[in-house]
Amino acid sequence: MSIPLTQGAIEALYKGLPIKNPLLQLLNIRQMTSNSGLPRFRLMMSDGQHALSSFLLTTQLNHLPEQKLLVQHCICMLKKVVTSTLADGRTAVTVMDMEVVQSPEETGGRIGNPTPYNKDGQMSSPAKKSSATLEPDSSSATAPGPSHRSTSFSRSNAAQSSPTNSPMKVSPMKDTISPMKVSPKKEANSPMKFSPAKDTNSPMKASSSSPMKVFPISTLNPYQSKWTIRARVTNKSNVRQWSNSRGEGKLFSFEVVDESGEIKITAFNNEVDKFFSLLEQGKVYYISKATLKVANKQYSTLKNDYEMTLHAHSSIVPCEDNQSIPTMNCNFVQIEELENRDKDAVIDVIGICKKAEDVSRITTRNSREVSKRALHLIDSSGKEVTATLWGEEAEKFDGSGQPVVAIKGARLSDFGGRSLSALFSSTIMVNPDIPEAFRLRAWYDREGYAVNSQSLTERKSTNSGSRMNWKTLSDVKNENMGHEEKAEYFSCLATVVYMRKENCLYQACPSADCNKKVLIQHNGLYRCEKCNREFSEFKYRFLLSANLADFGDNQWVTCFQETAEVLLGHSAQTLGQLRETDEAAFDEVFQKANFRTHIFKNRVKLETYNDESRVKVTVMEVLPVDHREYSRRLLSNIRRLAF
Amino acid sequence: MAGIIDVPKARINCSMLLQHINQAVCFVGRVSKVHPSGKTFTAVDGEGKTVTVELNCCLEEELSGVVEVIGLVSNKGVLMAATYNLLREDRGTPFDLELYNEALKVIHDFPQHYPFEAAVSG
Repeated sequence: MSIPLTQGAIEALYKGLPIKNPLLQLLNIRQMTSNSGLPRFRLMMSDGQHALSSFLLTTQLNHLPEQKLLVQHCICMLKKVVTSTLADGRTAVTVMDMEVVQSPEETGGRIGNPTPYNKDGQMSSPAKKSSATLEPDSSSATAPGPSHRSTSFSRSNAAQSSPTNSPMKVSPMKDTISPMKVSPKKEANSPMKFSPAKDTNSPMKASSSSPMKVFPISTLNPYQSKWTIRARVTNKSNVRQWSNSRGEGKLFSFEVVDESGEIKITAFNNEVDKFFSLLEQGKVYYISKATLKVANKQYSTLKNDYEMTLHAHSSIVPCEDNQSIPTMNCNFVQIEELENRDKDAVIDVIGICKKAEDVSRITTRNSREVSKRALHLIDSSGKEVTATLWGEEAEKFDGSGQPVVAIKGARLSDFGGRSLSALFSSTIMVNPDIPEAFRLRAWYDREGYAVNSQSLTERKSTNSGSRMNWKTLSDVKNENMGHEEKAEYFSCLATVVYMRKENCLYQACPSADCNKKVLIQHNGLYRCEKCNREFSEFKYRFLLSANLADFGDNQWVTCFQETAEVLLGHSAQTLGQLRETDEAAFDEVFQKANFRTHIFKNRVKLETYNDESRVKVTVMEVLPVDHREYSRRLLSNIRRLAF
Repeated sequence: MAGIIDVPKARINCSMLLQHINQAVCFVGRVSKVHPSGKTFTAVDGEGKTVTVELNCCLEEELSGVVEVIGLVSNKGVLMAATYNLLREDRGTPFDLELYNEALKVIHDFPQHYPFEAAVSG
């Protein structure tokens, strides 16, 4: 038979009303870690009617639970208590002196059916009001606590009673609010900050008391600073170092996606060290406190006006709840569709890597050495295309077993017809875990392997006509060709109607590979500025200015050595000599070359010379007219136009 | 004969013969068979169809290869040749009869774009 408990004691204690030596039953006892290293015990006491878990045991009495004197269901007499109110309004009852009067065995279990004392319904569950799931249950500290929203949170608090993050702070109630409110997401560092004494019971260093709410990426903008996003890393770049006139440093960038959109995030210098190893592609994180700015479209192809930069106060914490976040925002384009897309478009593709060539090293125009590897991808459209990987991606690619390869953010080029090139920001996935990959695999194993596919990327142009960009001379002006920064190439059929005889030749440096014009010195020697040497002779080279015409328009072009020689039918040296010796013969060469029709392959580009910009056309190659091929092309053009 | 030379002549193939009866035409085809008399021969056009060509005087030379014949189309669809022209195969690019036939079709399909007669007379 157990001793009767003091009814109404819970309410009295809570309200701070004096009550003498109340008898209460211990329903639960929990140990918390405190800053000082001393354990702190929290008690849930019941008067048979109500239960309250806001009891704290003074450390002087720690020996009671430690020596197993104070155990669940025992009955205690509270001899001295102090009821205090925490900064956030919660009430804590600190037991300064108590005595265990009956053991649990004698008591025989829980007395009565006490309900959590709920003054305004916020007491017993000192926490979370964010999650609606928390209910009375929460007061029972025994409940492992509904993991509100973030399992990480509850995990970290395993030791600590979950629902409670004890607002039980005895003294320095610096506490702001129930950490529960503060969604764990807000974490930042050590979600393991237990000591309630210190600050908000939230294992999160809740520096700010604002409730953590997850914002959709699409709402981010530079004018709002209190936000948190929950997103998955879709693409993480390697660390890149730079060194320019303004200094040097390192950076890495990554892209994240959530249900609303995607955004690019960059980290520099210190942040690289902090976050590079933490972030893993494919995982979901809570990110907050970073700088938003307008996106530099030159470096990113994501659909977002803004991009983010991490700084010293940025916080990134892994998130376990990732069902709702899409894995990857991929818009795969069928290979046969690539023909219809514009060149330089950035697209996503997926296909079976039928064949991967060996990695090769090439030297770029800037004399940099880089590795490259060509992959031949085929998809269920039956068409094939060549994709090029660069650098580390090329080196570590393993094409054995004809894997499914998905590339997000590859650039489509018109090299060889149509081909793909991986950019610095592209993501290459081998055998990704997505439904398209499984579909492709099944298709390939069933029938794809036998398909005699046609590649959009022609390696050798057997039919030269297939690669040429045929234009007429009027097209050059009508289409404003060459006005962009980049050079454009085209082929045309045209007739030479005029060639400038004067200044068609210049004296060039005789060294092999050097074509710089030489200056005549007073001593009769020829000086080359590039080689920094003087020579006793020179070689003649062509720099011919000619006017070409077709039915629609004419065009001034420049022909260098090789092309001029084809047009004139003589070498520069020969012509140079003729000019000096036989002027009539010299003129005749030009006469004969005039009004001849050829196929011209040209380059048109905007050139700037001393502040003046002009579109210039240079002849890259002169070919004889293949009338049959030309006729065939005209006929097919006519038929096409007729429909 | 002089009359025929100065007059604008439509270029035709075998299928167009009957539309040009009693008109001066220009036909290009490959010689297939020469009559032993030397006064007539058959020629095949780019489509593979055959036409009979009659000459006013005997053939002095051996005729073979692609030939261009200018003449009048008789009521019976026979080409009464006024003059002919051999397109030598040993010189220059060989003549592509099929391609020529394609061009011919275009000229006839779009006469508004190929006003040859106006050009000659105008």
